[in-house]
Amino acid sequence: MQEDLTERKQKALDFLNSHLNAKLITALNSCVHCGLCGTSCQYYIALKEEKYMPAAKVDLVAGIYRRYHTFAGKVFPKLTGTHELDDETIDKMVDTLFGACTMCGRCVAHCSVGVDIPFVVRTGRMMLQQMGLVPKSIQSTVDAALNTGNNMAISKQDFIDTITWLNDDLQYEVNDDNATIPLNQSGVKMLYTVNPREPKFFPLSISAIAKVFYLAKESWTLSTDYYDITNYAYFVGDEEGARVITERLVNEAIKYGADTIILGECGHGSRAMRWEGPNWMKEKYPVKTITAVELLAQYIRDGRIKPDKTKITDLVTIHDPCNLVRNGGVIEEQRYIVNACCSNFVEMNPNREDNFCCGGGGGQLAMSEYNERRMKIGKIKADQIRATGAKIVVTPCHNCVDQLNSINLEYKLGVTIKTIAEIVADAL
Amino acid sequence: MAILEIEGKTFEVDGDGFLVNPKEWNEEVAQLFAKQDGTGELTEKHWAVIKNIRSHWEKTDMAPMVRSICQDTGIRLREIYTLFPQGPARGACKIAGLPKPDGCV
Repeated sequence: MQEDLTERKQKALDFLNSHLNAKLITALNSCVHCGLCGTSCQYYIALKEEKYMPAAKVDLVAGIYRRYHTFAGKVFPKLTGTHELDDETIDKMVDTLFGACTMCGRCVAHCSVGVDIPFVVRTGRMMLQQMGLVPKSIQSTVDAALNTGNNMAISKQDFIDTITWLNDDLQYEVNDDNATIPLNQSGVKMLYTVNPREPKFFPLSISAIAKVFYLAKESWTLSTDYYDITNYAYFVGDEEGARVITERLVNEAIKYGADTIILGECGHGSRAMRWEGPNWMKEKYPVKTITAVELLAQYIRDGRIKPDKTKITDLVTIHDPCNLVRNGGVIEEQRYIVNACCSNFVEMNPNREDNFCCGGGGGQLAMSEYNERRMKIGKIKADQIRATGAKIVVTPCHNCVDQLNSINLEYKLGVTIKTIAEIVADAL
Repeated sequence: MAILEIEGKTFEVDGDGFLVNPKEWNEEVAQLFAKQDGTGELTEKHWAVIKNIRSHWEKTDMAPMVRSICQDTGIRLREIYTLFPQGPARGACKIAGLPKPDGCV
């Protein structure tokens, strides 16, 4: 057993060694310990312990790097603030890199030298993945995705039955007995993707997007084999798994002749598929990708759908998902949509690139091990929402939706949480 | 793992409050969990959903699709969310004593 662990530690060190490119070395050497990141991080703000400061998380990985990869660290490990990759360091890594970071990237925006802190955290997670130390709850989500094609292990028949069942709702909504949600249709323009939690537990968002697509006369399909936009392999640092998940969707689009993959409302999934995926595949996709938010905004601009903003008069606010907004740059489209669909809109503060995470990002929502912390840091988001006085919170990310639902109940906010597709469908 | 105490009874639960040992579950446990998570008194409709989820899980080791819950019980989809404010996963499945489903729930 001891030998096994030594072997696994060596694997982690080899991994670090083989990933030491200019970007990582720069990130590991640049922290000037100014402390600005502390007050930008929800964990530090809510829990007030030094170990939660983003700089402390960077230091865990940087200390290992110095110990094993620099001359001074090898010769004077105690004088150079290094970390031995021992059980104590490993425990700290699991506890803070997995258990206390939503990878929201707010610290990067506040960092005086611009260290890509989540990139370092992800590198630390990858080292833990090499040692087989990914928290069980999130690893089982990755395994389900890789083994069954979706992260909730929904059978093909169950998926088909659900989508077919939704046709009734669609036909009623658009008053057309022939309206259906297209499954496995070849020769369409767009392949749509969903988060498995939609067919499994929350299918109203699929009804909503189907209604929008029907009214916009979109040429689209869902595939019954691969439709899962999430990529938890990306969260746990499993690059090969992340590549497999990405490649499946690209191949599915090609199979149905679609030239575009519509990225369903999922922050990390959109990021993985759009901005990270080509790096894993080591090539440019032969198809285009577009987020559902950008597509819906385009429909409104082009007059393909005509929302009636007098239908929604309650005060509405937007929660910006970190991966889509701060990390992805999809910022104004959701505001354009909400303003076109709702009579009363209010921003929460801070917003856009400086917005706080919902508290459930970076895989936190899936890791029951750290549930208590997740609810504590979620109070910051709850306070933000309460301060707006809004009755409806719109957010283009299903992970955020679930965390917002949790804090809505925990902190008794009394709001309704909706996706972008749902708010648009309500206004049509 | 954590210990959840409701009305003097203790249960071993995961970080999200799901029962660690699903065999510990019985109707009394369901009632206690429902009281604790804000679902409140369980009505006939709640029981129809809970029993449907439980029996599906006992047969297949999985939570059922919300569609099959609706089709089997005759309860409308939107009503499921009203009956269980925490939703079908964090609410109904938890009260039915299932382990936490994987994914974004």
